Amino acid sequence: MTDQALREGAARLAALWLGCAAAAASHAAAQSTQPAAAGAEAPAPAAAGAEAPAPAAPPAPQPTQPTPEDEQALAQALAADQAAAAESSPGPGSGTSARAQAGGNPASFNPDLSFIADFALAYFSEDENLQTGGHDPQHTGFNLQQLELSVGSAVDPYFRFDANIVFAQFGVEIEEAYATTLDLPAQLQLRAGQFLTRFGRLNPTHPHAWDFVDQPFALGRVFGGEGNRGLGVELSWLTPLPWYVELVASATDAAGEATARSFFGAEDLGIEGLDDLEYLGAIKQFFPLSDDWSLATGLSSAFGPNATGRDNHSEVYGADVYLKWRPITYQSYQQVALHGEWFYRRRQVPEQVLQDGSGFAALAWRFAIRWAVAGRYEYGSSAVDTGFDSAPDYLDPEWTERRQRVAANTTFFPTEFSRLRLQGSVDLPGWKDDPIWAAFLAFELVTGAHGAHAF
Amino acid sequence: MSHRLCSIVLALSWFVAGVARAELRVVATTTELAAVAKAVAGAHADVSALALPTQDPHFVDARPHLALDLARADLLIVVGLQLEVGWLPTLQTGSRNGAIQVGGKGYLDCSQLVDLLDVPGGKLDRSQGDIHPGGNPHYMNDPRRAAAVAAGIAKRMAALDPRHAAGYEQGAQRFQAQLQAARKRWEQQLATLRGSKVIAYHKTLPYLMDWVGAEVVEHLEPKPGIPPNPRHVAHALGVARAQGVKLVIQEAWYPSSTGRVFAERAGARLVVLPGGTDFNHGKNYFDYMGEVVKRLLGRS
Repeated sequence: MTDQALREGAARLAALWLGCAAAAASHAAAQSTQPAAAGAEAPAPAAAGAEAPAPAAPPAPQPTQPTPEDEQALAQALAADQAAAAESSPGPGSGTSARAQAGGNPASFNPDLSFIADFALAYFSEDENLQTGGHDPQHTGFNLQQLELSVGSAVDPYFRFDANIVFAQFGVEIEEAYATTLDLPAQLQLRAGQFLTRFGRLNPTHPHAWDFVDQPFALGRVFGGEGNRGLGVELSWLTPLPWYVELVASATDAAGEATARSFFGAEDLGIEGLDDLEYLGAIKQFFPLSDDWSLATGLSSAFGPNATGRDNHSEVYGADVYLKWRPITYQSYQQVALHGEWFYRRRQVPEQVLQDGSGFAALAWRFAIRWAVAGRYEYGSSAVDTGFDSAPDYLDPEWTERRQRVAANTTFFPTEFSRLRLQGSVDLPGWKDDPIWAAFLAFELVTGAHGAHAF
Repeated sequence: MSHRLCSIVLALSWFVAGVARAELRVVATTTELAAVAKAVAGAHADVSALALPTQDPHFVDARPHLALDLARADLLIVVGLQLEVGWLPTLQTGSRNGAIQVGGKGYLDCSQLVDLLDVPGGKLDRSQGDIHPGGNPHYMNDPRRAAAVAAGIAKRMAALDPRHAAGYEQGAQRFQAQLQAARKRWEQQLATLRGSKVIAYHKTLPYLMDWVGAEVVEHLEPKPGIPPNPRHVAHALGVARAQGVKLVIQEAWYPSSTGRVFAERAGARLVVLPGGTDFNHGKNYFDYMGEVVKRLLGRS
């Protein structure tokens, strides 16, 4: 009887609940089995209510079971906590997880494995949308953005090995598979294998670390749908300066339509000399402005051959900035992050040099324990020649005007291992008469071990 | 240009000077571990903590400058049991310091020094919430386990810096003796709580309550890491009233509105425990545990 009263009250509350009603209900359902188990060892209220001790203990005016007034006060308090809070677990990225580490887990030589699935329901106002990301929703209807298998482990005291293998609806792709040294002298580190280059801040990351459903078009335009990556080798140096300064240099394969399109891209002219590889140089700095404020900046450049003719080269220069406020000196779940990147590209083509710029600025706000909102503005100029006259771009011939896109989304995180994101965007390519509207409802699941994330 | 060169030379000399220092450079993930390490090492080591006491150690941002501390560290002391799994591995790899990688001679997982509680059995998955498969990692709020940790830290420091082995040994013994005395005092004060029943926000209290002799009968979180919801909190209120719960306990890094109203409704007292000790401002482990005891007794 008491149990039923409790349930009724709780059900009323659940309906009022600020958070996702569905999630609350599923918790409640999960718990309905718990008290029974607990009751076995210690008298739980439901069981105790029927027996002697509980009613006897409290004096008459205070009933054992919560009154509606109690429930209302609790609901308000919970709502206050939720509102004042945004989750201290930042995104699915950096939470605790079942990654096996020494101490605790039964000894095992298995690498850490995790599966990350991204699904989306998408709507586009035009069939011919201009999504450039390899894992973007591509068409109106249900989309499998990716199913990523991520594997990582120390190989021996000198190397660790990481791989990201992506399954799409009709194929498998080895996104990354590389070794990282752990113990080179002089704070040097070498990566070798196939990896996403560290051009800018977003390029080396995977979709589950993103604040948006899709990739900024700047990356797709300059490097391709998968972002800049390739087989190669990278050397980085954590300088001994008193603040964080890291220098990165890499040499990678310059071919790949989806990974190096401003270089050889789809048309691999082959390697005849050392300048037929893509070279990257970057400097990354970090400034802990205070306990609560962080600033990360980077300058990147990439050079390599392009496919418009032997000895024609492309250059890409990038700047990135990331400013984050996350109070850690007092209780708060809030986080605000401003992230901007700019890509300036110069390509030598027969008889002229093409140049263009693309970039984005995004603001993400984790405003409650399970909720976040984010907005993003993107810009891409048309290609011009050295006299700043419009020039045809051999890669994107239709891109004759500037393109802008604005996106906004809200994300619900049931836990750090799942998220539901609703995003709307409007794309304004200057060469099209009508804007392209898009809406995505994206769902992500992370299971298994989950590696720690970079800042 | 010459200006830049000059600053680089300066920085290099600073770096070399750092290397030449006799001190053992120790980095602990949490402030309680840092405080114990400092008590053991005294002047022989330079100790710092990666997380702040106000920060939930599950969810620390891997801010890159923390990797600098690790790059220069001789010893990394961790809580283990996957408490730091969401952020520490990135920093370890980024530090490029072989010594402090998992399994390195400068990596000390203190969970291997203490008896663990809440080690789950059977099939594990996250439908059970954010559980720690190796056992509950919040053992530093039990002074008996802190004493064991001090001994383990001293042993490792002695191995890394044999010249001062005696000093570390003495440091640990001194710390343990002081702790023994303090424990007596605290245990007398806490005797009133023995056998009492409490409600906790998160599963952070098994070791503390094991020491105090009290029992956690329910949590405000329905499952570890899942924020409280009305239905579960109403259930917990029923438990609290039925079992005569007098204390509702949470760490300062959790929001407290729910706890406050809950305690009021349950006729209990809300205890907000410090998440750690303010190590950066000279506070030590005794300050931390003293504060914990004081707040448990409602004397703050």
